[in-house]
Amino acid sequence: LLSRATPRIPRRSGHLTSPETALEKARTRLHVAAVPDSLPCREKEFEDIYSFVESKVLDKTGGCMYISGVPGTGKTATVREVIRALQQASDSGHLAKFTFIEVNGMQLTEPRQAYVRILKELTGQKATANHACELLDKMFCSPKGPRRDTIVLLVDELDLLWTHKQDVMYNIFDWPSKTRAQLVVLAVANTMDLPERIMMKRVSSRLGLTRMTFHPYNFRQLEQIVLSRMTGLKIFDSDAVQLAARKVAAVSGDARRVLDICRRATEIAEANTSSKLVHITHVDAALKEMFSSSKILAIQNLSTQEQLFMRAIVAEFQHSGLEEAEFSKLYTQHLTLCRFEGVPPPSASELNAICWRLASSRLLLVEEGRLDLQMRVRLNVSSSDVMCALKEE
Amino acid sequence: MLLKSVLEEVKKSDSAQNNILVVHLNGLLQTDDRLALHEITRQLHLENTVGDMVFGSFAENLQFLLEALRSGDETSKPVIFILEEFDLFAQHRGQALLYNLFDVSQSAQTPICVVGITCRLDVTELLEKRVRSRFSHRQLHLFNNISFMDYVALCISYLSLRDFPDQDFASRWNKNIKEVVESATVRDVLNRQFTLSKDVRGLLMLLTPVICDLSLAHPSITASDFVESFKSLSTDSKSSMLHGLSILELCLIIAMKHLTDIYQEEPFNFEMVYSEYLKFAQQHASVQVFDKAVVLKAFEHLVALELIRPMDSRTIRIQKEYRLMTLLLHPAQILDTLQKYPNCPTDIKHWAASSFT
Repeated sequence: LLSRATPRIPRRSGHLTSPETALEKARTRLHVAAVPDSLPCREKEFEDIYSFVESKVLDKTGGCMYISGVPGTGKTATVREVIRALQQASDSGHLAKFTFIEVNGMQLTEPRQAYVRILKELTGQKATANHACELLDKMFCSPKGPRRDTIVLLVDELDLLWTHKQDVMYNIFDWPSKTRAQLVVLAVANTMDLPERIMMKRVSSRLGLTRMTFHPYNFRQLEQIVLSRMTGLKIFDSDAVQLAARKVAAVSGDARRVLDICRRATEIAEANTSSKLVHITHVDAALKEMFSSSKILAIQNLSTQEQLFMRAIVAEFQHSGLEEAEFSKLYTQHLTLCRFEGVPPPSASELNAICWRLASSRLLLVEEGRLDLQMRVRLNVSSSDVMCALKEE
Repeated sequence: MLLKSVLEEVKKSDSAQNNILVVHLNGLLQTDDRLALHEITRQLHLENTVGDMVFGSFAENLQFLLEALRSGDETSKPVIFILEEFDLFAQHRGQALLYNLFDVSQSAQTPICVVGITCRLDVTELLEKRVRSRFSHRQLHLFNNISFMDYVALCISYLSLRDFPDQDFASRWNKNIKEVVESATVRDVLNRQFTLSKDVRGLLMLLTPVICDLSLAHPSITASDFVESFKSLSTDSKSSMLHGLSILELCLIIAMKHLTDIYQEEPFNFEMVYSEYLKFAQQHASVQVFDKAVVLKAFEHLVALELIRPMDSRTIRIQKEYRLMTLLLHPAQILDTLQKYPNCPTDIKHWAASSFT
């Protein structure tokens, strides 16, 4: 039954309306999924990977390359673009044919399932992890057998293929070194020093020294990315894009983030005003929405007793000089504050309920268990933030 | 609540009615990715389900689901994933489910929309960095910023009748409600509840006993109902537990309170409490002096009520007379109870108020 099943989501009835206004067009282009045909600001990396894979395919040899960089720097998109370009070249006859396989560590339930994936992509047959490993071994290592096309294997999120024995990584990096394998492995991960940190010597030695690092985008590049997607559309104020780019570059240099912010800004511009242009104020609003910490606002919206409890905590911390206090001390402090303010004090059960409520939204950190009065309470916000939030009224 | 009404509103339009698949997941029910995956496949009615059974192993299920999502494009039905208790999904191993859902939403595959609901403010800090990068960082904070006037209006609207068959009764009822809620006593009660917590669930908890007390003999709501209801909500559980104790147990509690006062939160054992108790009981004729065995029994009763707690959980090693204990009562609670305790001897009240014996 399973072998015959075809995975598919039901079709939608009716047609999609295509984007009408300029803002809607901008939004579809700004979606992270709308990857452009050529990635701006990654030309050098593209060249490097292209020439690496091309030379391996031409020589009919194998090899490994390790690609690292923080999330959102265009690693996977660049590799996919290289493969697309190579496939075009091989279609037009400039290059020998090759097979492309993609494995993502996050999409596997456990590391050894990688074998099953690779085997399924290569031959279409299904097997258990152990059996798949044997079959692949035979395929890549046996000296006899027909000459095949080169296989390009992209291993995304490599760090998740780590096992205690590291056999999965070992095999994946060992196969290219076999003469008959003709396997090119492109391993992608986040950290630069992954091979040194978690791999055994014999695994990292097989990975080799062909490495490439994707640096976080700087603000000029981020700006260029947004503008390249906006070619032909006059939607953004140039200052608006620059603000978004500078802000993101200062924090992470993540291209996904900048696109998300710009998309949000177009939405805000559409909702607020009838203007066709996204101004710097809209981007600023989007930035505030996505970057600002909501804790101060949360404190300001608490009920009176809850705010009083926060103040009691700060007062107790200042009194004791520690960053942690027992609940019984806080209760005493709270009663004093209540008397000071002239409000009827809550009972201990009620205060306990208040404490847990604040803890569930993680304004406070409290000890687990039935410790009751001896439960230790910490603030999850800085005490100056609390004072600042409560003073504004 | 908000999400439900939004979904209903969306489903009203014709084009959306047959065109949306909604998948509900709850972090408390789907405690790991395998269960969540089963649930998704079941709710989407993918082809590897027969009836309500899902076939294939965990790995096969994941591949199947991902291929199903990948095969879709703009023409396939959009899927809305609603993840309640989102913070619990972030505790799954490797956050693989979240990664895959976000990844699909950020690539040109089946159009999906992931809506997470959580009470934690710092939920994005729980996400791994590659998961966080794929998360669109759109957050909607639902803060409770209603004023007291809104709160009162909310209370009235909850209690008043609409679309009731008997128009006459409904108008009389609504008038009564308005009068009662506007009265000073009820205002006071509502204000107390409002300062404690602003959330609507607290208000409903306050109103439920009020409604439940209605009967033929007592057909309309009065202000005293509100007062009663608030009193039952706001009673301290420990104080009411203290009311049920015997005089001897109360004496022990007071002795413990003095011990913690004198030795500044140091733990005590039974022998210390007993000698403190003896010191007091022998001086005052009005208090009966009990045997050690009887006092020990009373002490154990207090332990069973969890009014006092052993310092360490190892129970066997040390004799129970010498186990170190701590008191789980606040002095304010003890003094408060003694004021209201029926037939409490004056000597004991005095002893509790002063640390002299």
